[in-house]
Amino acid sequence: MSLPLTANHPTLNARRTDGVLDWAQMLSGAGLILFMWAHMLLVGSVLLNPSIMNAIAGFFESSGMAQVGGPLIFLLFLAHFVLAARKIPFRIEGQKTIWEHAKLLHHQDTWLWVVQAVSGMLILIMGAIHMWVVLSDLPIEALKCAGTLQKHSGWLLFYLALAPLVHVHLGVGLYRIAVKWGFAGRAQRVGLKRFVVLLVLVSVTISVLTLFRFWFMAV
Amino acid sequence: MARSLKFNIFRYNPQDPESTPHMENFVLDETDAMTLFIALNRIREEQDPSLQFDFCCRAGICGSCGMVINGRPGLACHTKTKDLSAEITLLPLPVFQLVGDLSVDTGSWFREMYDTTESWIHTKKVFDPAAQEERMENEVAEAIYELDRCVECGCCVAACGTARLRPDFLGAAGLNRVGRFLIDPRDERTEQEYYEIIGNDMGIFGCMGLLACEDVCPKHMPLQDQLGFLRRKMGITTLKNLFGK
Repeated sequence: MSLPLTANHPTLNARRTDGVLDWAQMLSGAGLILFMWAHMLLVGSVLLNPSIMNAIAGFFESSGMAQVGGPLIFLLFLAHFVLAARKIPFRIEGQKTIWEHAKLLHHQDTWLWVVQAVSGMLILIMGAIHMWVVLSDLPIEALKCAGTLQKHSGWLLFYLALAPLVHVHLGVGLYRIAVKWGFAGRAQRVGLKRFVVLLVLVSVTISVLTLFRFWFMAV
Repeated sequence: MARSLKFNIFRYNPQDPESTPHMENFVLDETDAMTLFIALNRIREEQDPSLQFDFCCRAGICGSCGMVINGRPGLACHTKTKDLSAEITLLPLPVFQLVGDLSVDTGSWFREMYDTTESWIHTKKVFDPAAQEERMENEVAEAIYELDRCVECGCCVAACGTARLRPDFLGAAGLNRVGRFLIDPRDERTEQEYYEIIGNDMGIFGCMGLLACEDVCPKHMPLQDQLGFLRRKMGITTLKNLFGK
């Protein structure tokens, strides 16, 4: 018979960095949420008028914020992955356990965590591709974006997948921060969930409309 | 007309080298106000006396009869068959050591948890049996009693994704226990001493916020609020330690 699994652990007192890493995970996530909303609104400004988007992009480039801020956001993005990955089981036994657990429990929040981990992995790859492609070919202009999308429809499909992934990941992340840190208590949980669903729907709609604005723009 | 219930029950006796883990079916006619406690006892009495499961109080107080009922950890004595489908799958609670069939050893786990959390009032005051008991504000007493309602059934631990992935995680039951002493004015432990116990990934920072504990707790303990409170409290202690007060 195996030894009983216990809550007692010899290294229990020695893990004082865990709290710092937990803060860093939350703050890097919150920072990326704010960045992504700003990003969505700035790119989405093309829906009002392409010249507005060009003016905003021009401002970020002439002030050097795109050249410096872009790579910094990329670093934050990587840091957030490393921090959040501490909780993801990368070994096959762990993967089996968490999938079996989620299937057995049929519990929405447990499934949302699986969605969070899977979307995070996809965003890591797709987001890195997106950042490389955009930042290595400045300046950002509405016509150039439209040209890229229209020339290779693969890019349209790529962004039609990436945008919902990002917004679902953001929504679940926001919900998780709120319940984990107790910003939303038991009484607020249902309302918070509804708010997050609405937020994700609105964000995905704006992003998809933006993509189709580029798709149908006369180049 | 009474339903005919089909039970799929996990069978395995780790003490018996011949035994292998498998599911076994039992069919039983449903009776009025039947609970899983009644159903399992009837199966044991009428069909298979070797079926192992734990019961004591039949009233959701002792916490012995925790098991996975159609995928969800819950108390068998609290679960009426009329609330379930005609096919009922019963598994032992994961995380805990299996005694046999549906019976698990939650006692050893909780014993270790008491040791780790030092689950007693830490005070330097010497007890005077002749003195009057110290007074406490009613709200404080009620808040402590609220957290003391835990029956240690282990359902929150079995439903926890983190506990499934790392056996050293304290689980909602363990964290709730620390929270209970944290608000008790008689316990003289400092914030720093509590941080030593739960200010790490085996404690509150291991919690991934999946909230299955909150959703399965048969006693409806305020686990979500409690975990949030502890994370904020220990998070602030982290910052104090990092920036030196």
